[in-house]
Amino acid sequence: MSATAALAPRATTRPATGRPTLRHVVAAEWTKLTSLRSTYAILVATVVVSGVLTHLSASASSGDPGFDPLRSLTDGLVLAQVGPLVLGVLVGTGEHGSGAFRATFTAVPRRVPVLVGQTVATAAFALLTAVLAVGAAVLGILPAAASRDITPDLASGGTPQVLAGMVASLVGTALLGLAIGALLRRPVPALVAAVVLLLVLPVALVLATELAADPTAAPAGGPVPVAEAVVNTVVTLLPAGAAGLLTAPPGSSGVEGAPDLGRAGAALVLTAWVLVPLAAAAVRLRTRDLG
Amino acid sequence: MTAAAAARTALPRRGAERRTVTTARVVVAEWTKLSGLRSTLWVALGTVGAAAGLAVALGLFARTDAAGPAALVVSGSVLAQLGALVLGVQVGAGEYGTGTFRTTFTAVPRRLPVLVGQVLVTTGVAVVTAVGALLASSLATWGQRGAGPLVAVADAGTARVLAGFVLYQAGVALLGLGAGALLRRPAAALVATVLLLVVLDQLLATNPGRVADTARALLPGAGARLVQDDARLAALDAASLGPHLGAWGGGLVLAAWVVVVLAAAAHRLRRYDVAASMGE
Repeated sequence: MSATAALAPRATTRPATGRPTLRHVVAAEWTKLTSLRSTYAILVATVVVSGVLTHLSASASSGDPGFDPLRSLTDGLVLAQVGPLVLGVLVGTGEHGSGAFRATFTAVPRRVPVLVGQTVATAAFALLTAVLAVGAAVLGILPAAASRDITPDLASGGTPQVLAGMVASLVGTALLGLAIGALLRRPVPALVAAVVLLLVLPVALVLATELAADPTAAPAGGPVPVAEAVVNTVVTLLPAGAAGLLTAPPGSSGVEGAPDLGRAGAALVLTAWVLVPLAAAAVRLRTRDLG
Repeated sequence: MTAAAAARTALPRRGAERRTVTTARVVVAEWTKLSGLRSTLWVALGTVGAAAGLAVALGLFARTDAAGPAALVVSGSVLAQLGALVLGVQVGAGEYGTGTFRTTFTAVPRRLPVLVGQVLVTTGVAVVTAVGALLASSLATWGQRGAGPLVAVADAGTARVLAGFVLYQAGVALLGLGAGALLRRPAAALVATVLLLVVLDQLLATNPGRVADTARALLPGAGARLVQDDARLAALDAASLGPHLGAWGGGLVLAAWVVVVLAAAAHRLRRYDVAASMGE
């Protein structure tokens, strides 16, 4: 150790050049994310919603003759995914609304590391949220299972894959929200886009199958009509469809008429939904004015 | 009355009259604010485009003999309702984000006329947008329906579906306005209303039962029954264990939600600090 270094020992904790490294940017984004009250509000709301809804759903169906509590695990996911989605959109758009982005991009003039840092911080916090939410869902099915003297076996029968798929789809939803938010930069358009993509388009497509369905046709056995196959393929390739495949119990075939992607394929589709808007946001960040 | 006071009141009489705040002037002011925003035009055009686009897309799949002529024209309402929602949320919450509300409530210290003006203006824009969406959807699905360019109001069912589309759009816009004025933050209001209108309904639909079906019938999304034709309503009622509200009953449920949310917003506006919503 040289004399100057001994005189200023704290200097070793700072980057020598004064340039922010990626690690520092990630740490800064983590600080920003975890010092907002709304982040924790979303965490708590997501976990509570997941646990309570799964409990209600499992209790409601616990009277059925063939009741399997593990089938109820994913019932709260439709509502629980809104929490991570909003978290991601807020991380992506928050600084542009408040003006804090000026300070951020003055500190990190290369800009793209900020997006990387936001992605890492959001993924980490969403992972924590997702693990707690899935844990709450598991706790939620226990009373219903106990009322029927069933001990849910979480370690076998493909349940670990379902639980991992739930965690992955919640984290993916948060990152999709971040990507859309970073691309559009304004909370209301970003939320509308995310809601349309994740929640409304699947409903609209179900409407399409209803309009296309022939009520007089034989219900099963024959080949799936072309129109229905097209709609189901689109549904499968939407983020919600991919998340549905990720959380499907093993052994269940995919949607009728749609290509069977499997778990890995569904994960790839969801990853593509995150990476494409994220890359577009990075391009916009690098090449366009911050406004 | 002292002489000085008499002189003061006599002199600026014209000016004093001009400064009076009447509801009519507040409505005009709200109209100026709303029509002066470029985003209003974009939201309206987006709503019309989304409605017509979805109607055409669904028309690719629809069996011509299965649905009535009006069903396809109004089928874009799944997407178009979001346009109405955004319009209402922006009117209700927009000023709190920018700080313009300080000027507004300095000019109208009684505050409530502002909300009344916003309700009237939002209803007007939502109705005009919905009619535009119907016209655009009719023209866009002309070939797919195989009938004339515009839907003929042949029977009471068709008229109800078309009018129901306009009423539903107006109701959703007012729900968004109420939520925006109540929560004062656009993102929060949007998330809350989307949860109420779309997500909770989907969630309850996955778990049908007497309780879930009753809850679904009492959510604001029940107003969407206004847009569904009689055959579809009959199918919905057959599958539901909850109360059978019919089309107008569903509309009344939405209207009740609108009244309650707007009343809560009016209460917050009258009783509590408006500036407290800034600087969070």
